[in-house]
Amino acid sequence: MSNINSIIKKINRLTPIPQVASKVMSIAQDPKSSMYDLSKVIIYDTAVTANLLKVVNSAFFGLPEKVDSVHQAIVYLGMAQVVDLVLLSASGENLQTAQEGYDLEAGELWKYSVSSALIARELAEKKGVKETHLIFTAALLKDIGKVILNQYVKDSFDKISALVTEQNFTFREAEKEVIGIDHAELGAMVAENWKFSPKMVEIIRHHHRPQETSMSEFESAIVYMADTICMMMGIGVGSDGLAYRFHPEVVESLELTETEFQKMVAGFVEKIEQVEAMINV
Amino acid sequence: MNLIVGVSDMKVTNDIEATLVTYSLGSCIGVAIYDPVARVGGLLHYMLPESSLDQEKARKNPYMFADTGIPALFKAAYKLGAKKQRMKVIVAGGSQVLDQKGFFNIGKRNDIAVRKMFHKNNVIIDYKDVGGTVNRTIKLAINTGETCLKVSGKGEKKI
Repeated sequence: MSNINSIIKKINRLTPIPQVASKVMSIAQDPKSSMYDLSKVIIYDTAVTANLLKVVNSAFFGLPEKVDSVHQAIVYLGMAQVVDLVLLSASGENLQTAQEGYDLEAGELWKYSVSSALIARELAEKKGVKETHLIFTAALLKDIGKVILNQYVKDSFDKISALVTEQNFTFREAEKEVIGIDHAELGAMVAENWKFSPKMVEIIRHHHRPQETSMSEFESAIVYMADTICMMMGIGVGSDGLAYRFHPEVVESLELTETEFQKMVAGFVEKIEQVEAMINV
Repeated sequence: MNLIVGVSDMKVTNDIEATLVTYSLGSCIGVAIYDPVARVGGLLHYMLPESSLDQEKARKNPYMFADTGIPALFKAAYKLGAKKQRMKVIVAGGSQVLDQKGFFNIGKRNDIAVRKMFHKNNVIIDYKDVGGTVNRTIKLAINTGETCLKVSGKGEKKI
């Protein structure tokens, strides 16, 4: 237990997510809020604003002219999209670093997180889910636990790897067995610590086994599916490989057809270079 | 000098200074070919088995699919003087999420696609490392034809 407690204590060593993230989330949930309210909150955080404008001006969006104010960004992309991009601009600090335990170079976990978030949002829109910001952010932050667990995975890698290759454990199950806690549980604790909603905490905790959640089932299934698609495309896949379980019942609940699924993969492949340009990998 | 082959991408060269590299194969498959006499090498990284999914996308980028990417890889190598009978062929990737079945199992479908094509065209695979749950990287040095396969978390080996 002492080991687990010392791991949990390390949550405080992460760079906390800037306050602007929770502020834009609550603006997004308030139907009375205006474009003016949104931009006022964003420009207060100069670092996030600078990141946001860099992202907005990247080739991913292909805007006809350079955008140099938050107001202009909202005019071009709409409030919903700008809210997501603020969340993205506020989340990079911890996720951009290298994770040797997972054999991920600097930028790889970040590319994975952003790709998962973009795919999850696309899927949420396709399925008519209203809470797209919740899904986008949960997909973006779902692996934040890896940033803390990294060192422990590195130290126990041989044991974890043996359970995966010899005993049909998933990588997450092996983390839990060997270290006592897995990256999804730890990620949920980070989200709690950062005062995210219980739904968000739940999605992050269950992003590898959405069938076990008691709330946000559909949202968790979407984040799970986006994660699976990323793994299959080899995005952000490190020493854990694709050693996570496939849950056909979860996929069924999303009612995705074979063609829809493959088309999503094909569509995202075309965007990978632009995603890389957007996040400067 | 490393020439990076991205996802749904292909490169063929006879530049003896070049090393072709493709990272992070996941369920995608990498096909490396090399003619030691012409010193021509090529590397393809395809994502999906069949171009019938979207003909328009296949026209724009044939390297996305096995059935359009593999012929394009060989044709590009022939253009630089490579001959099929001398060609060393390596196939890697096609990993699967655990317990994955049916149409979501793109890794397996990608493997079947390449096997079918090679069988039809009498191409013999010299080395194959396909399936499982691991993430793979392929490197091919044009000067010597030396090929390396890296499996994340397990290091790199010469093949």
